Amino acid sequence: MIPDYTVDELICVCISRQVEDGEPLAQGIATPLVMAGYLLAKLTHAPNVVFGSAIGGTICAEGAPLSIARIEDIWLGRAISLTSFPRAVCDLLFRLQPKEFFRPGQIDPYGNFNNIFMGGSYRRPNLRLPGCGGIADVTTYHSRVYFYVPRHSRAVFVKKLDFLSGLGHGHPLPDYPGPHYLVSNLGQFDFKGEGGRMRLVSYHPDVSVEKIKKRTGFPLALSPDLHETPPPTAEEVHLLREEIDPLGIRELETLSGARRRRKLREIIEREQ
Amino acid sequence: MMINKVTTLTEAVELVREGDMLALGGMTLYRRPVAFVRELIRQGTGNLTLLTFTASFASDLLVGAGLVSRVRSCYFGMEAFGLAPMFTRLATAGQVKVIEETEASITFGLRATLAGVGFMPGQGWVETDLLKVRPDVKLVGDPYSDRRYVAFPAIKPDVAVIHARLADPYGNAVLGGNLAVDWELTMGSEQVIITAERVVDKLEERADTVGLRVTAVVEAPAGAKPTSCYPDYPLDSAEILRYVETCNSDGFEDYLEEFLELRIED
Repeated sequence: MIPDYTVDELICVCISRQVEDGEPLAQGIATPLVMAGYLLAKLTHAPNVVFGSAIGGTICAEGAPLSIARIEDIWLGRAISLTSFPRAVCDLLFRLQPKEFFRPGQIDPYGNFNNIFMGGSYRRPNLRLPGCGGIADVTTYHSRVYFYVPRHSRAVFVKKLDFLSGLGHGHPLPDYPGPHYLVSNLGQFDFKGEGGRMRLVSYHPDVSVEKIKKRTGFPLALSPDLHETPPPTAEEVHLLREEIDPLGIRELETLSGARRRRKLREIIEREQ
Repeated sequence: MMINKVTTLTEAVELVREGDMLALGGMTLYRRPVAFVRELIRQGTGNLTLLTFTASFASDLLVGAGLVSRVRSCYFGMEAFGLAPMFTRLATAGQVKVIEETEASITFGLRATLAGVGFMPGQGWVETDLLKVRPDVKLVGDPYSDRRYVAFPAIKPDVAVIHARLADPYGNAVLGGNLAVDWELTMGSEQVIITAERVVDKLEERADTVGLRVTAVVEAPAGAKPTSCYPDYPLDSAEILRYVETCNSDGFEDYLEEFLELRIED
């Protein structure tokens, strides 16, 4: 029987299924869908993964339920090793190349992406974004660049970026294989098209290929083995809801506007 | 030489001059020198270049209060709470200048200062638009191969402020595990101010940063609130949410007025 599940849970499950046992994983700032996916992998097929965290620059082998106010408890309280941020950035990232799921503000057909601004010009943007963190530092060499997009739209998937702050395919960098994978709320994608072009590999249950094409701002290439995304299992849904993220923090990434505000307030009240 | 550096918050803030590059210790919503920022806004020292690895609540207050001309940070946002309201508004309007930084440009830049060299080479940035908006950042050839790297320029803040769990009167400090870039800030800045939950005569645990380059030590209980000071207190998420929502309904001025009335004892 296929269990009831929500789209945030499906994204977590897709992320989890991309994790290989024993590999190092990195988790960025404010990325609960990724964290929940990693923890799900740890509790199912990948018990030996090791996490590196943007909170505290720590290395952990254990997880804990997602939290907002006490997120440091997870990363500092259970760390194998505390590193500082300069040590994490300068001494560790290149040698470990931990798998990381980045969330692009904009992404082009070849997986080039932007987290600096949207619309207008650099000096007078329509919207300034928080910044690219360490993305521009690692997308020149990193072997395990992955993406997630919780709200698939033509504003995110664009023909031409307003600013290039993360590299995709098509650059003269022999050591950089480019991004491998993208999951959105509508489907899963690879970058095995011509010249590293993004291709739809699977559409989520109840999502039509037509709808994905309509929500993508460039002509969408299709994988020859296009299929439906396998839905979450009952066990995966149970683990996400009961063990990994009982407060539903992962859902914040798929919501916007008033619904997101309501959910955030509810989580904060429940956590106090 | 071990010198007693304990002073008041007011005097410590007076060390900051108009136009300085001010670095804030801690990360995003964790162990930020909020009590110091409150006193800095009271004193109104402006035209600052704000250097902070990841910027959030404390930086957003400084930007909203109009004290910051330039921001140097690799992330300016409120994590789960969304965009940083005042930074986003003013940067979008072109009223605060952003000097684009990344994790590597800040950490390699600070390490260059620590090593006494003009730059540190790194693998990042090539092919990106960051080099177009940071024409001061150059490429450098590897003398041992034909490769080229980005030469991240040295960063030397005028003043760094770091909030600690514990400090002694000489400025040795215990940070509680989330070390951020604070070792590099204490070693690489011209002047270093430590605010601490408690100042004790002698530390019973090993210090994370040493006081040899520290200028001033200030006792500031609850000095990171509403950001966290792990493990003493967690993030006050309800207060951060209140800040974001107040700003988003054009209430920054009211929030700031209330914020400035708080004293350390509160």
